[in-house]
Amino acid sequence: MLKFIPIKASAGIVGFESPATEYTQLSLDLDQLLIDHPSATYIGIAQGESMKGDGIFSGDLLIVDRAQDIKDQDVVVANLNGVFVCKKIDKKQRCLLSSSKRFPPYFLREGDDFQIEGVVTRSIRLHRPFKKAI
Amino acid sequence: MFALCDANSMYASCEKVFDPSIRNKPVVVLTNNDGCICAACGIAKRMGVGKKFVPYFQVKKELEAAGVVIRSSNYELYADLSQRMMDTCARFAPDINVYSIDECFLNYGKEATAPQEGWDNLASTIRKTVWREVRLPICVGIGPTPTLAKVANHAAKNVSGFTGVAVLDNEDTRKHVLKQLAVTDVWGIGMRLGAKLNALGIHTAWELANRDPSQIRKAFSIIVENTVRELNGEVRHCWETVRVAKKEIYSTRSFGNRVTDYDELRAALAGHAETVSVKLRKQKSVTGSMTLFATNSPHDNGGYVRRSFFHRFTVPTNDTRNILNVIDSAMSQLFQSGVYYYKCGVGLMDLHEQGLFQYDLFNSSNDNPRLMACMDNINSRYGRSTVQMAAKGFEQRFSMKRAFLSPQYTTQWRDIPKIKC
Repeated sequence: MLKFIPIKASAGIVGFESPATEYTQLSLDLDQLLIDHPSATYIGIAQGESMKGDGIFSGDLLIVDRAQDIKDQDVVVANLNGVFVCKKIDKKQRCLLSSSKRFPPYFLREGDDFQIEGVVTRSIRLHRPFKKAI
Repeated sequence: MFALCDANSMYASCEKVFDPSIRNKPVVVLTNNDGCICAACGIAKRMGVGKKFVPYFQVKKELEAAGVVIRSSNYELYADLSQRMMDTCARFAPDINVYSIDECFLNYGKEATAPQEGWDNLASTIRKTVWREVRLPICVGIGPTPTLAKVANHAAKNVSGFTGVAVLDNEDTRKHVLKQLAVTDVWGIGMRLGAKLNALGIHTAWELANRDPSQIRKAFSIIVENTVRELNGEVRHCWETVRVAKKEIYSTRSFGNRVTDYDELRAALAGHAETVSVKLRKQKSVTGSMTLFATNSPHDNGGYVRRSFFHRFTVPTNDTRNILNVIDSAMSQLFQSGVYYYKCGVGLMDLHEQGLFQYDLFNSSNDNPRLMACMDNINSRYGRSTVQMAAKGFEQRFSMKRAFLSPQYTTQWRDIPKIKC
């Protein structure tokens, strides 16, 4: 997972080692802030326009936590007939809601292959594209 | 009590975690270079396809006709999901011992009393949690000894009446399960030992459990005696020995494209030599001898060529440089021009615990442990082959053929799963 380690490679082979080395610490760690259950969390990329009302745009990174309890109206990732979808879950009406008017709710039908995969706990917008090709 | 958590068809199950489109399909995973079948999911097994170790080309048409999904081994993905599974299991016990990529022992202590919810419910909770949080199906077996935990796990998978969870905490269940278990399915009893036991009229685990341990020791070894005692509930495996240091270390691999070039074969062997050296140091051993081999394919028209070379070290070593040095003397024996090499490898045998070895009076070790430790540290911190021996070469033309490789969903940014909005 995402880790920034701000320590330069220093094998101690040449030169004089900086006396500050001992005091180098990891700077703020985004994992620690954004990820509640590391072994149950994965990151996906959003594709499509149906969740704009919840602030999720195409190309955003979604942090999906499988260990969270699922509450009504949570933004979740689910397996719907072999495809990962991101929707709001309406437990009472057994349907998947989009947050854009152009997309009607999807009512679960008999025979649908459906499992909730996890709760979208955070999403990340890339206001500038990544510098590095990923 | 001890629990053994074991993933069902680990590799095939891993393939389904981030690809929901194949969850309800038969999936078969191939070994290195797509050579043989190494795992098949439950659906494939029930269809009777995906027998282990069958060469892929032999059953290619049959698998195609059955609509089986084929995948190359995606070790990056399996290693990450394995780590997640172990982290999740570890929450449920004071002590965990990771036994292999898909199984771990949980230790509750010898005289552990049942948890409030009962052993059965605890086992179910572990199983459900790993499914929910990692999306891997596992079986959980609980028993008073590591061997019985293994037995319970086997029962959880194979004996009717158990669905993914089995607890051997009373005499009736223990007897019921041991009677249905073939002696060859007992932990540590292989096919050869099993055949000898069969000859003595011991066919089931129950029959083995009822033999006199001291006689079994005389006829076989203390290891089999320990198994008998463990089957009867007496803990003999010391927690440390559940994970024994390997007695041999091998690194072998077939080439993606055939190798006909001297330097290329040499570089491939150097890569293997480096791999085994790192493993050797990791388990804190030194090696007394080394074997190297190179072969073409048994299916080649020109006939099978298999060449090997054996080397004994004057002083046992775990220094990559000493292990690499053997390659040059081996090459003249291994390499023959005109042979299309298909596979090569390096094995270390005659391993001793580092420090315990009786050194020779006249030959002193030229190992440089500090240099090796430095190399290992850099590589574990900044990734494999950050520093490496130049002999291995820097461009691996002989890297693996993985034609059906799935994305590395959790370890490469470009491969993270796409989610439709």
